[in-house]
Amino acid sequence: MCDLKRTLDATGHCVLEMPSGTGKTVSLLSLIVSYQQFHPTKRKLIYCSRTVPEIEKALSELKRLMKYRISCAETPEQREKEENFIGLGLTSRKNLCIHPEVSKEKKGKVVDARCRDLTNSAVCEKGRANPGSVELCDWHENLGTHEPGTLISPGIWTLADVLQHGRDNGTCPYFTVRRMMPFVDVIIYSFHYLIDPKVADQVSKELSKDAIVVFDEAHNIDNVCIESLSIDLTRPMLDSAARSVTKLGEKIDEIKITDAAKLQDDPEDTFMANPALPDDLLNEAIPGNIRKAEHFVAFLKRFVEYLKTRMRVLHVVAETPLSFLQHLKDITYIERRPLRFCAERLQSLIRTLEVNRLDEYSALQKVASFATLVATYEKGFLLILEPFETDNATVPNPVFHFTCLDPSLAIKPVFEHFSSVVITSGTISPLDMYPKMLQFTPVVQETYPMTLTRNAFLPLVITRGSDQVAISSRFEVRNDPAVVRNFGSILVEYSKIVPDGIVAFFPSYLYMESIVAAWNDMGILNEVWKNKLIFVETPDANETSIALENYRRACDNGRGAVLLSVARGKVSEGIDFDHNYGRAVIMFGVPYQYTESRILKARLEYLRDAYRIRESEFLGFDAMRNAAQCVGRVLRGKTDWGLMVFADKVGYMTSCFDSIANPSRTQRFARADKRAKLPRWINQYITEVASNLSTDMAVTLSKLFMRTISQNPNENQTGVSLWTLEDIEKAQAKQREQALLLEQEGQQGADNMDEDEYGDGGIEDEVFMNVDL
Amino acid sequence: MPSIVCTAKASYKKLPGTLELTDSHLQWIQDGKKNPSVRVPHQDASSLFCSKEGAAQVRLKLGLVNDDAGHNFTFTTTPQEVAYSERETFKTELTNIISRNRSSGVLAAPTAQTPKGPVTAASTLTPSKAATPAVLPASRASTSRATSVVSDGRTPILSGQDAATVFRLRKRVLFANPELLALHKELVMGGQITEAEFWDGREHLLLAEAATENQKRGRPGQLVDPRPQTVDGGEVKIVITPQLVHDIFDEFPVVAKAYNDNVPNKLSEAEFWKRYFQSKLFNAHRASIRSSATQHVVKEDPIFDKYLEKDDDELEPRRLRDEVSNLFINLGATLEDHVETGNERDVTMQAGRQRGALPLIRKFNEHSERLLNSALGDAPPSKRRLVNGGDVENSFSEIEYDDLQDHESSPGILLEMQDRRRSSREVIDVQNAFKDLLSRMNGWEGRFSQLKIERKSSEAALSSMTQNVAARLDTKATKSDFPPGLFRQLTTCQTAANEFLRQFWTSIYPPPSDLPTPIPTAAQRSAKAAKMAGYLGKTHEKVDALVRAAVLEGVEGNRVVIAMKPLMDAVEHALAFHRARSTALGGGASPEKPGSKLV
Repeated sequence: MCDLKRTLDATGHCVLEMPSGTGKTVSLLSLIVSYQQFHPTKRKLIYCSRTVPEIEKALSELKRLMKYRISCAETPEQREKEENFIGLGLTSRKNLCIHPEVSKEKKGKVVDARCRDLTNSAVCEKGRANPGSVELCDWHENLGTHEPGTLISPGIWTLADVLQHGRDNGTCPYFTVRRMMPFVDVIIYSFHYLIDPKVADQVSKELSKDAIVVFDEAHNIDNVCIESLSIDLTRPMLDSAARSVTKLGEKIDEIKITDAAKLQDDPEDTFMANPALPDDLLNEAIPGNIRKAEHFVAFLKRFVEYLKTRMRVLHVVAETPLSFLQHLKDITYIERRPLRFCAERLQSLIRTLEVNRLDEYSALQKVASFATLVATYEKGFLLILEPFETDNATVPNPVFHFTCLDPSLAIKPVFEHFSSVVITSGTISPLDMYPKMLQFTPVVQETYPMTLTRNAFLPLVITRGSDQVAISSRFEVRNDPAVVRNFGSILVEYSKIVPDGIVAFFPSYLYMESIVAAWNDMGILNEVWKNKLIFVETPDANETSIALENYRRACDNGRGAVLLSVARGKVSEGIDFDHNYGRAVIMFGVPYQYTESRILKARLEYLRDAYRIRESEFLGFDAMRNAAQCVGRVLRGKTDWGLMVFADKVGYMTSCFDSIANPSRTQRFARADKRAKLPRWINQYITEVASNLSTDMAVTLSKLFMRTISQNPNENQTGVSLWTLEDIEKAQAKQREQALLLEQEGQQGADNMDEDEYGDGGIEDEVFMNVDL
Repeated sequence: MPSIVCTAKASYKKLPGTLELTDSHLQWIQDGKKNPSVRVPHQDASSLFCSKEGAAQVRLKLGLVNDDAGHNFTFTTTPQEVAYSERETFKTELTNIISRNRSSGVLAAPTAQTPKGPVTAASTLTPSKAATPAVLPASRASTSRATSVVSDGRTPILSGQDAATVFRLRKRVLFANPELLALHKELVMGGQITEAEFWDGREHLLLAEAATENQKRGRPGQLVDPRPQTVDGGEVKIVITPQLVHDIFDEFPVVAKAYNDNVPNKLSEAEFWKRYFQSKLFNAHRASIRSSATQHVVKEDPIFDKYLEKDDDELEPRRLRDEVSNLFINLGATLEDHVETGNERDVTMQAGRQRGALPLIRKFNEHSERLLNSALGDAPPSKRRLVNGGDVENSFSEIEYDDLQDHESSPGILLEMQDRRRSSREVIDVQNAFKDLLSRMNGWEGRFSQLKIERKSSEAALSSMTQNVAARLDTKATKSDFPPGLFRQLTTCQTAANEFLRQFWTSIYPPPSDLPTPIPTAAQRSAKAAKMAGYLGKTHEKVDALVRAAVLEGVEGNRVVIAMKPLMDAVEHALAFHRARSTALGGGASPEKPGSKLV
């Protein structure tokens, strides 16, 4: 909290690593809320999380916090102040819609489009002027009767609460939140709403500069950044885009006859207004040659045709945006400048034409944003054309990847726009990787250890099966029957001894699907069925949710179940397997990325050239953060316990060696890939013995562990991991003493003064007081 | 009379009766008759057959040395689980006996049959022709597993149970607990206290037993996947049991539908199964992705192919389901939270590329769900929603950390004082006293330095300590070895007296009973207390008798007295209490609340 406050005071950025399941969210929130409430400036908090379950969880934490604050308020004024605190969560229309027909739609895109059709300003005007002429959304209309800013009473509203409120009052939850955005104190939504320029433009542009931005669960933030600026184009998409262009053309002709004036004043208001894009784009007028609607349509047509021809190539092409633009110019005479405004121009045109069912134009929108991006950025991007899906495929299925290689590009506007950005997660070691990748200078960079009165979890590394065959998920051996059987026997053994739930993670979907089939044929799963139910992650999200729900029911019931899922998959993100929902996590293999992927190769190359991050270092780091993330899901709170089983020969051995080897050895073998990449709070519990086990040894150890850990945890943690007020005061006194000592030393050797700048807790307090006066 | 190892209700040749295993014979007595009509000496037992678990009847067949036909018993106790476990007891005992017979070479001619492997019951037909899957009438109603799965969640109520059940439970508890059995023999069989009195206060044992009995085995988790066994000539056979038939119908409703449609009008029972196992439908149902490879071998079948559904291997499931409403686990919400961005994931990370595995995976999930529903009942999603989401407390429970809760901040109990002023004055007094103490403590260092310890007294203390330790060691080294017979008598005397004491005190202070047993009235209780006091009064005589017996055996009587001293003290205390109470009440008038007076 001290570190956090330092960041806020200094209006800088910080990176914090806190072990999962130690109350990260609530400590962040409680400090920031106090900070907000104390200062009259009322800095807004933008809290970004990764997934909807996590957003919902953060909202409930906040709700609970505010309940506590209200109950603790001393004076009526304070109480009122606390009660007027507003916190909301935002998610897509799909998740917040309560319109009886629209909400039934399966795809989020369709919901968006239909919602726009019912709620956009043109339609609304028409509908209000002449009731009944067009269909409107009643829930949206009801909002108009309220004053802006009082759409929802103050307090904290979780997504579920907002939905219920909408149902009760007949108002649209989505627009309630959207319109309340300027008035709230805390807004919680996902990364994309801030990072993705397409979305950030609509949602986050009114947020003031002094807001505090928190990225929770930010270990994947670089991927989110990259994703938000990358685009894939396929043949069917181009076809659909071409159709849309034609349709647009027809529409223009139609309108020309009926309502020529409309087209005339179409492009007047179009200045780029995107806070997330670089400044030089913001204040530029749209170039003349695409200002006229029919010209623009022709322009688009030409561009789509050009892309189609490119797709016909049957060999892999990789080129930079510059060379792409050059080629484009040579063939079609399309210049860079108009291309840059493609997306925006399309948007304005669509608005003018009052096009319905926007989802049908999504392919064209994608092409347009592709055009904008390719013309905007010169560096950090690569265009890859892959004519075949896999190396041995014969039927071409060309994909044109426009891939962002540099995560700092997308997040740069965020760092520039907002003064305090906090990046935090359970697993972001090595810490210096993030500032390096995201190109920012943190004020504070800390990792916190976990204090436990007892070892609440037991990490084990299984390197060989009971038959002493080394197990590994390396590509060459992973389908070896011996390895598959050994993986299977780990699952069987653990399903016998572990109560309630077991979660198993595989490195990829492909591997999971093939291994599940193989296990079934080998009769391994029959053994598991005897002990537990089996649930498997499927491609469909809803189906998986149902499986997950049933999994939790089985765990609650005591029947016990095994959940097979994929690291980096849907389940691994944002679902907690605390307490009985996950007594053991098994990682089958190391979740390395697929190294044959061209996109990954390009990215690795870029990292090496631009930031001097070695390929192997990044791959190992990436695999370990995902492994740690999966494994960290089982622990929530100190009374919880769980087993963490890492099953792989090479990967984990090297990664955990560092912590157990003596320093001299570490120095001698200080190779990059041998650096400890599992976070410290896991690593410190891996003993030398536990880092190289066979299955039977691991099972014995686990049994022992479970017998001790299942005892009543009601021992006194006070003083060790729970501090009373006195303990804190004591610690503070000690800190002060140390600071004093340092100061004295500093006076003696007057040249190392600058070191204790941050070691002292007292300075901030003075600053703090000065600010108030 | 030979001791009985185990007994159970069993019918033999369709006549009800009781099957008993004594330490020399297995015998069956028909109900209402005295003498066993079947009596097999242990040496004659040569083989054992049991019906499968889950079969309609719980049977046990004993093969004899000179008679392979043997005897066939059907366990008739209801519910079936009990009969089953009784059968298991018999089975283990008999298996031991048989293996003993074999090893000791009593058996003249070793039989060709496997000794104890549970062979399919008589109701299970073996295939008549090698290639033809054998078929038998599916007695669905009787084999329904579903009924056995649903464990009635209510706690067993003893008072509501019939005497026979209670008796059976008691017997089981006793047999499971040899010490209790000995005590029971001593006291109840000896006629000292009644059966009811003995069990009074031990209801929890019966309840526990009833609970374990009521805990029924759930459905086994394995997938229904009949694996054909290959016999000579490359032909395959699949043995069908009623159980399997039921499982198949349960797992694949479409087969049940086909069965209803076609049997017996278009196809005979046997024909139906034969064709089913050869059909594409069966291959689609098999839990293996290899089966799709054998697809081309499988013949077209006009009847079964109608029922064939398309493989469920699209990315989206064929059967659409409601969304999970709990936002904490709704994965779809995340997916729809923002427009998808970025490059598509690489080949290995695209879910569902192994088309063949998808139906399998879906089958796993559905099977697990079905098992779960069969045990928990299929709560409709809307109902579950009410249970899960919505209310605030519940959503908080998802985020709360146990260890961060302050368990110790209980409001505490206010001390009720009659005279607060006085106590506050006392507080001041304490302060004064403390000051006094402090003043007296002044100069303690000087006085302490003057302190001298007398040599003699310190030595005396030390030597007495040594003696004490030596004496202890002595007693430890020389174990008081009572002769075994006497020792057993001592223990029985002890346990019996303990039991009386227990009965006595429970009659005086009835335990806070949450059990459904009717609470005895005060008069009953005092009568019982008097009776117990009578028994306790005799303890003295008993101990005296023991002392005499000890002297006869050559053990010091004094040691027996010392050994029984704590017991005697307890008995004396109880008797004194009893006497005091009965005189106070003036001759047995029922006390209102005996407990409250004592406090």
